[in-house]
Amino acid sequence: MIEVGRQCRRRSGVLGQAAAHAVLAVAAFCALFPLVWMALGSFKTYHDMLLPRLLPGTWTLDNYREIVTRIGFGTAFRNSAFVAAPSTLAVLATSAAAGYVFAKYRFWGKEVLFAVLLSTMMVPFTVVVVPLFITMADLGLVNDLRGVIVTGLCSTFGIFLMRQTIETVPNEYIDAARIDGAGEAWIFVRVVVPMVKAALATLAVFTFLGSWDNYMWPSIMLKTADNQTLPVVIAGIQQLYVVRYHLWSAGSMLTVVPVMALFTLAQRHFVRGLALAGLKG
Amino acid sequence: MASLGKVLRRPQLRFGVGVLVPVAAWYILFSFRPVLQGLRMAVIDYDLLNPSASQFVGLEHFRTILTGYELFWVASRNTLAFAAMLNAGMIPLALLLAHCLANVRRGRTFYQWALFVPVVVSMAAMALLWRFLMHPTGILNSVLVAVGLGPSGWLTSPKTALPALAMIELWKALGGNVVILTAGLLAIPVEFYDAARVDGAGPWQTFWRVTLPLLGHTLKLVGVLVLIGSLQTYTSAVILTGGGPARATYMISQFVVSEALVNFRFGLAAAAASLLFVVIFGATLAQLRLVRARWEY
Repeated sequence: MIEVGRQCRRRSGVLGQAAAHAVLAVAAFCALFPLVWMALGSFKTYHDMLLPRLLPGTWTLDNYREIVTRIGFGTAFRNSAFVAAPSTLAVLATSAAAGYVFAKYRFWGKEVLFAVLLSTMMVPFTVVVVPLFITMADLGLVNDLRGVIVTGLCSTFGIFLMRQTIETVPNEYIDAARIDGAGEAWIFVRVVVPMVKAALATLAVFTFLGSWDNYMWPSIMLKTADNQTLPVVIAGIQQLYVVRYHLWSAGSMLTVVPVMALFTLAQRHFVRGLALAGLKG
Repeated sequence: MASLGKVLRRPQLRFGVGVLVPVAAWYILFSFRPVLQGLRMAVIDYDLLNPSASQFVGLEHFRTILTGYELFWVASRNTLAFAAMLNAGMIPLALLLAHCLANVRRGRTFYQWALFVPVVVSMAAMALLWRFLMHPTGILNSVLVAVGLGPSGWLTSPKTALPALAMIELWKALGGNVVILTAGLLAIPVEFYDAARVDGAGPWQTFWRVTLPLLGHTLKLVGVLVLIGSLQTYTSAVILTGGGPARATYMISQFVVSEALVNFRFGLAAAAASLLFVVIFGATLAQLRLVRARWEY
């Protein structure tokens, strides 16, 4: 396992440490400042917002009230959750099950099949988007949240990640369960899945955020306001209200806060997932 | 082992088929078929109302977009310039930050958190934020004026819109690449650094002669990821500028979507998408070859 955060590369001197901290502090400031500005801006009145001042002159919740009642943010929030939750669960199930089969079963053509699956990662979404839209139109799923869910049921990265992880599960556990007469489904759910929980958690946060933040496909698929997800609605506000930045920042806050909370709670899963992808890729 | 495998073959067969058949069906319907269909649409005159009656036209769509279809050239030029700017900014900056992160004794978790926050938040929400920050009378121009530089046009001027867009994408994606590179740096065995110090190498020499070559594998991956991502940019350009001003940020992805789903010129869209595919594929292979790690450890 990669222990990011444990060791220190070189015994650099006080000066080196200070320089590294200075560079990182500037970078962290640049990364966070726009978000702090947005968070404070969401409590400002319109006129306050246009002044070059960090803190609100008068704190107000009107922006949130207006965005929830007038723009229908509750519906968008529900739609986003309705897409992200089943997509995430489906990706976990399909990735773990297919990963298990690819990691532990021997069958004719396995590596070829796996290579064919992996090759889909190289095709840009731009190539697929138009035919996929026509497929959805044929299935009657345009402007339907199910049309967004169904295209997110499997993840090639997920299958790859779970195969890599399940390969590290010792065969002895699986064979012992088989000798005890356990069925394959039971072994998968009771033996394999508990041993790869950490990787599943990593995959879950990545998939959930990918779905929650996705704009391109939902914006093409979802045409009416009652069906749109948060990013599509947020982008739409811009066309509705040309200069009402205070409303935008409140809307953006409602979109971003759940994601930041999830990320803060699950940070180590992100770091590990990316680190694994980097070292294995 | 072999006899055990034989005895246990049947239940495994059922489970394996039960898992792989639905997954394969999904891949055929939502991945392979659209890919093949997308490539086929580039060489036929797609008939929306009666697809089976579509006529084969060979390379005509390619000829149309490559000769005298100005919008395609504008989109290609913008996309390539954007990818070049983003790569040129991203790799050195990510490397510098990863180097600092790998070296600090305290606070790594916090810095990593701070740098990674822009990666997890939705681009749609961040696009609005950046439009506000880059507003002609916004905070960024206030800062520029305060330090004595003139105000910039940012996203509103055709000259500065593309670099401004690249800056926003850099802000958004930097943290992910820093995390990958940090993990790569920390995986380099510490003995190499001990040996370098014993040999009397300075920090600069150590970086160029030890760190960079040994990081080759990870660096290669980051380069490919940044390149592939930047060539497909869609969300930020569409939301921030809609491709403007004066088409200064009109990207290939936007060209494909609007040609097909707004103007119903499916063939031209598919031809452009196929060319993008070829460019991405070629660039990926080239990058993997060019930046091959010289040493393994």
